[in-house]
Amino acid sequence: GGAYWVDSQQKRYVPVKGDHVIGIVTAKAGDVFRLDVGGSEPASLSYLAFEGATKRNRPNVQVGDLIYGQFVVANKDMEPEMVCIDSSGKSSGMGIIGQDGFLFKVSLGLIRKLLAPKCEIIQELSQLYPFELVLGMNGRIWVKAKTVQQTLIIVNILEACEYMTAEQRKQALAKLSGN
Amino acid sequence: RQPLSLSVAGERLCSTEEATAGSGTYTRHGFIFSSLAGCLEKKNEDNELPVVSVVRDSESQLLPNVGAVVTCKVCSINSRFAKVHILYVGSTPLKSTFRGTIRREDIRATEKDKVEVYKSFRPSDIVLAKVISLGDAQSNYLLSTAENELGVVVARSEAGVQMVPISWCEMQCPRTHTKEFRKVARVQPQFLQT
Repeated sequence: GGAYWVDSQQKRYVPVKGDHVIGIVTAKAGDVFRLDVGGSEPASLSYLAFEGATKRNRPNVQVGDLIYGQFVVANKDMEPEMVCIDSSGKSSGMGIIGQDGFLFKVSLGLIRKLLAPKCEIIQELSQLYPFELVLGMNGRIWVKAKTVQQTLIIVNILEACEYMTAEQRKQALAKLSGN
Repeated sequence: RQPLSLSVAGERLCSTEEATAGSGTYTRHGFIFSSLAGCLEKKNEDNELPVVSVVRDSESQLLPNVGAVVTCKVCSINSRFAKVHILYVGSTPLKSTFRGTIRREDIRATEKDKVEVYKSFRPSDIVLAKVISLGDAQSNYLLSTAENELGVVVARSEAGVQMVPISWCEMQCPRTHTKEFRKVARVQPQFLQT
């Protein structure tokens, strides 16, 4: 307790140690994957930084896959490094994000709003359709619902939440669940 | 010293019975050959054979030897090593800078596994280091700071102000009073200016 910070709105992500982000695999270089996280440099991810990974048992990561991980090294002087395990060696929800689904980008302020505890937007959406959601602090969101149409509806609502007031959002959701 | 003539690399100069090989030459099969393109110089010694050398510029470039203490500036860091530009060899400035590498295990003498390059050096730090090897094919000198007298001498804080050393591993900014980690060199008292 006793911390002050200034919250500001921006779209450009700067890697910060400890942040959980969604990265896109752009290259495999020896023992290390290169991930695009939306920062100034690609991040590196060692193939051993997955739960249960050993030199014999490599994770099945291909170029173009989505990875949810956290930064262990992120400063202005060095290339950022990511891992998909926490300090005790468990994956705790991190790793390769499954097939299908939809990845899109929003502003960083909206992500922080969605990650706040008891976020109304998420609660209201979950009453509409069941869906899987991954939020990356770098402004990336991955959504997967049962059908493509449901997925796209959720994507459009989340993107519009940037500018909609709570009233407009409730009206839009009421119209959708009425259909 | 008499500058005799110009010579090219590979030119056979004389036999090892007439003179001794100096800088810029090498001996093979009992003869002295030039290894540079430059001016041929013969220096006459009193008791011994004259020394034959080939010189490129009028002042020869001082090359860092193994064991020499050099002053360098950190240009980039990595989790495994720091890349530096060598500026001074001893107290003589170099006309053109050489590139050097300080590996993570050569930063400190003790607890080498727990070393973090980010907590020892940052880009634009001035570092005193010792040459441990002339380097590999990429012609990067291998340097080491694994002694008390070696390490960071001048560093700027995140605020841009020159920091003051407070221990062998920390420096403090005089304006913001924040402490930053560096591998600090213990400079001899006679070299400190107050």
